[in-house]
Amino acid sequence: MNQIIDVTTLNHYAKAVLAADEGLSNLIICGEVTNFVRNQKSGHCYFSLRDQNASIKCVMFQKSARLLEFAPEDGMLVLAYGSVTIYERDGAFQLYVEYMRPYGVGAAQRAFDQLKEKLGKEGLFAPEHKKALPKVPTGLGVVTSATGAALQDIKNVLSRRWPSVKVFLAPVNVQGPEATQQIAAGIRMLDHSGMVDTIIVARGGGSREDLWVFNSETIARAAYACKTPLVSAVGHEIDYTILDYVADLRAPTPSAAAELCVPNREDLLQKIFIIQQNIQDSMQLRMKMCYNKLISVQPERLHEESMQKVALQAQYLANLQLGISQNVAELLAKSGEKLSVKASLAHSLSPYAVLARGYALVETPARTPIAPANLSAGDCIMLHGNRVQADCTVNAVRHFEEENHEKRA
Amino acid sequence: MKKELDFEAGIAELEEILSKLADESTPLSEAVALYAKAADLIALCNTSLQNAKLRIQEIDEKLLQSQNSEE
Repeated sequence: MNQIIDVTTLNHYAKAVLAADEGLSNLIICGEVTNFVRNQKSGHCYFSLRDQNASIKCVMFQKSARLLEFAPEDGMLVLAYGSVTIYERDGAFQLYVEYMRPYGVGAAQRAFDQLKEKLGKEGLFAPEHKKALPKVPTGLGVVTSATGAALQDIKNVLSRRWPSVKVFLAPVNVQGPEATQQIAAGIRMLDHSGMVDTIIVARGGGSREDLWVFNSETIARAAYACKTPLVSAVGHEIDYTILDYVADLRAPTPSAAAELCVPNREDLLQKIFIIQQNIQDSMQLRMKMCYNKLISVQPERLHEESMQKVALQAQYLANLQLGISQNVAELLAKSGEKLSVKASLAHSLSPYAVLARGYALVETPARTPIAPANLSAGDCIMLHGNRVQADCTVNAVRHFEEENHEKRA
Repeated sequence: MKKELDFEAGIAELEEILSKLADESTPLSEAVALYAKAADLIALCNTSLQNAKLRIQEIDEKLLQSQNSEE
């Protein structure tokens, strides 16, 4: 006989049975949203997921619901990640949804359009908000999977074009429930690191489902808030994501993003080479000009010029010489005149000149003039007159006083 | 941000040297000095361009996590 149990016990037991079954946790359920209600106060969301044959009640608590990247609408096909259990109070079998994303072309497009319109109205795509990329980045931040093809493509292009750039990789999951938050955090982290001046958010090609993550509002807002110029490079040429609209530059592929972010070193080497050539040319021209200036001063002319200078100097010297000799002659003439004056004066004072006037000079026999005062009686003397000589003998010598002589005169 | 060799500045400097060299009023002695400077700069630019190797640094996972938990 079966045991009687109360409802609480039943529901409690059933919940425990379900919880023990691993097949009922970590589910991904595909279904169409119906009766979607978001409680304005609590922020919790209540709805049902259904297909042609069945439906299940769903709850998404505010903690998870606030991270929703789109606004679920009735009729939208979604993938809901979560676990099923029983709500004991009502005995309701329901799905607790932790993460949800649109599924299928229609739903995805609907969600995409919704978000694009919303963010567009807010001005997140405004061209005036777009920042220019630096011509030559020194630090390049890359937000992508550490193991993905996107990183490899970017590395290849950078190694070829501009290996001088330092790459800072924020390794993230580019798919799955954590991808959104990680990518947004990666952008913020690189932006705040101060080590990068360009950021690439990249993901290699994939299905539309795979790329869905990049239609996230969280990532869009992180990209918009990012102060470092940001390049989106998600999937292939044809894939457009919300991030592409917010990014400062949209690159069709990760390789293209790398090309857009750095200059080509070959171009720069070429540019340097041309500048080098021009510098060589102007230096050579300069040397040639100097040489021309030098040979224009010909040695012949130099000789001629110096000869002219010498001639001038010689002329000057000759003039000088002439001047000097003239001066000397003048000086000589003057001196001669002076001399003849003096000579005639001297002649007038010559004792021999007095002889012409009849006077005689007393001399010794040796023809030395002798003063009369020195004579003694008996001396032999000679009287020397003009053109006459007389040999005499002194008879006596008498000396007179000065006064007597005066009286006699 | 620490800049190692600023190629843009290097090229700009080379272009300036070129215009000075092309200017006849630049004294010959200065021109020769500029020429030597340009040669050094060109060698430096060429070597660093040709010898550069791509360096990749992974941002610390923990830092990423701490950023995440701030959410």
